[in-house]
Amino acid sequence: MRARLERLFERLVHASALERVAISVAALLVAIVVGGVFVFVSGAFASCRTGLNLAGQTFCYNPMQVYYELFLGALGHPLEGGWHPRNLRLATTLQQTTLLIFAGLSVAVAFRAGLFNIGTQGQLVVGGFATGITVLAAASILPGGFLGTVLLIPIGVLAGAVAGGLYGAIPGALKAYADANEVITTIMLNFVAVGVTSTLLSWQFQDPDSANSQTAAVPEYATIPTIPIVGFHGRMSFSLLALAFAIALMVAIAWLLAATSFGYELRTSGIQPAAAAYGGVDEKRMVVASMTLSGALGGIAGAFWVLMVHGRWLENVPPLGFDGIAVSILAGNNPLGVGAAAFLFGILSSGSSAVGTATAVPPELVGIVSGLVILFVAMPEFFRLLGRRYLDVETHRPVRADGGGEADE
Amino acid sequence: MVRDRRRFLQAVSTAGLAAVAGCVGGFGDEETESAATVGMIYSTGGLGDNSFNDMAQQGVMAADEEFGVSYDETEPDTEGDFDSIQRDFAESGEYDLITCVGFQQEDPLADNAPEYPEQNFIIIDAVVEDADNVRSYVFGEHEGSFQVGHLAGLLTTEEFEAGDAATDPDEATVGFVGGIEAPLIRKFEAGFVAGVEHANPDVEVVTSYVGDFNDTAGGRETALSMYQDQGADIVYHAAGATGVGVFQAAESEGRLAIGVDDDQSVSEEDYADVIVASMVKGVDEAVIDAVADVIDDEFSGGVEELGLADDGVGVAYGQSIGDAVPDEIVSALEESEAAIVDGEIDVPEQP
Repeated sequence: MRARLERLFERLVHASALERVAISVAALLVAIVVGGVFVFVSGAFASCRTGLNLAGQTFCYNPMQVYYELFLGALGHPLEGGWHPRNLRLATTLQQTTLLIFAGLSVAVAFRAGLFNIGTQGQLVVGGFATGITVLAAASILPGGFLGTVLLIPIGVLAGAVAGGLYGAIPGALKAYADANEVITTIMLNFVAVGVTSTLLSWQFQDPDSANSQTAAVPEYATIPTIPIVGFHGRMSFSLLALAFAIALMVAIAWLLAATSFGYELRTSGIQPAAAAYGGVDEKRMVVASMTLSGALGGIAGAFWVLMVHGRWLENVPPLGFDGIAVSILAGNNPLGVGAAAFLFGILSSGSSAVGTATAVPPELVGIVSGLVILFVAMPEFFRLLGRRYLDVETHRPVRADGGGEADE
Repeated sequence: MVRDRRRFLQAVSTAGLAAVAGCVGGFGDEETESAATVGMIYSTGGLGDNSFNDMAQQGVMAADEEFGVSYDETEPDTEGDFDSIQRDFAESGEYDLITCVGFQQEDPLADNAPEYPEQNFIIIDAVVEDADNVRSYVFGEHEGSFQVGHLAGLLTTEEFEAGDAATDPDEATVGFVGGIEAPLIRKFEAGFVAGVEHANPDVEVVTSYVGDFNDTAGGRETALSMYQDQGADIVYHAAGATGVGVFQAAESEGRLAIGVDDDQSVSEEDYADVIVASMVKGVDEAVIDAVADVIDDEFSGGVEELGLADDGVGVAYGQSIGDAVPDEIVSALEESEAAIVDGEIDVPEQP
């Protein structure tokens, strides 16, 4: 049994990039079939006016319809007439993609440094809150109009990054200097983040004109501007500029990890801390630095959530930080893969609301279906991570006479 | 050659897509003639609360029975989703009426309504000003709550025993459990406290807000501590699905509870033996009324206030133990109702 497991792990660990893509696609198809059966069978327990009568049972839900809405509804039904590329559904998909790129990068950076950052959510909450109140305060002293946009948005994003970074540095420092497990500390700091921001909100920053728990709205010119003509309409809460920034940041992080000495030190500390220390890496500082960078990325996610989606900070922050963990694992913690994984999550998130609107399928069932998709697709990657970590898998590298070797990453 | 193959592939894929598109409808979704299409956006408590959202759903179902309308429903997870879902419904242009259930949708709707001037909206429990495509339905929750407060204040000192529940006549304490501490829910509290006061100034009211409309366990804990530690024998709730926990606590302690929005002794039948009364609120009537106006082309914006006088709110005695309420208490409630309608009693809207 164990030998078999080892063989399986070994196969997964050494799968080439192409094999991994093939495995993911196969997993996606299996998930769709399993989820479809789930939806269809659940339909027998629901009550509806008209349904499909089979073997004395009435089935209410059509799995084909659910998947059609889930995947194509998220793009605004491109196969139907009257499709416009700049529709609200696609805007929502890309909006979620943008936010999840930031959150996924945050988790991926920590993962690559050998740290399990579960605290992206807390860093995002704190970062978003800092962005909201900083922009509100700065807007009262800075000029408005175009100049206001140019000044306020960088200030807001920077505030989010700094606050998130500092909040990420806490568990980093605790791990480096007090040997506290970062999984525990980051989880606990998530609760602290929610509690502290809610308290500050009700104490000082609550919008007096609203029954909802939220800060006042930042001025219109302080929200992320949309590109005229080719961009999405301003009321769709999405800007191509933000997506471009997210992609640029993704490339920058990939370059940082792959081509700089900081990235090299970060990766070696993740792979083999003892060897890194032997090679002259100050591992304590490295832990703090990588957690700070991770937190800053989480804070940027919060900043964009505030400046792009709502134009204000709301107490009820969606669990983007936790989705970021799944995005990162799905991408094999590769910064460039985060983009594709975030896009899949964006589709599932926007498609879920399309399913909710267009069909009678309850939202919980849609949640199960998209959860299955993620579970199946991420499973091989997860086993790869496990296999690398816990199994002494030998590396089979063909020895070449010319001394060259291929990197297996 | 290559071009042939490409054309063949194109033809095949088009046929395939058409086939897929053919079976992506709902089962039995034949295009039926409907008088109107309604979009329902529920509040974060969601369907299945046997109270507020379910009332709105009953409203649209009743409208369907009566006029034959089709409707789409959606249940947002958090208040952050309201904005995009409202726009989603409005953007599609398929809906003759979009119903926004709950006061938390007020801010996003105030932003969105002017963006879609041709789209009819109604909002329940909040007022969106200056938009002639929005009709705001608000209820006299304070007046209805005054009535059940009056009932609780009189009952707590009586020796009352019915079903699984009994009062403790030595303890003159009643409780109120709220969902989120928002102005609307404080309106329930204010009316309830005033009603208790009106019945008997010596009765103490303990209040607590759970902080969520969807936290049954939290509602149960809160009510348990009221029943066990604070000596409350009747607890009234305005907390959506959180309130189910209040009934659970009443059941386990053998005490009384008062439901909200719907006649909960009917919708929460399992707890009918502890629900002495409910403060019913005509959310369903509001929806039916709006749908009827849309069909008759008489829809207009503005504010509809439905208080005790308009039968928008009122007391419904529990179906299984309501009959045990003494006649003199029932007539006292009728007197205070008449006094509120005539303006002799002025019920406060905020505690």
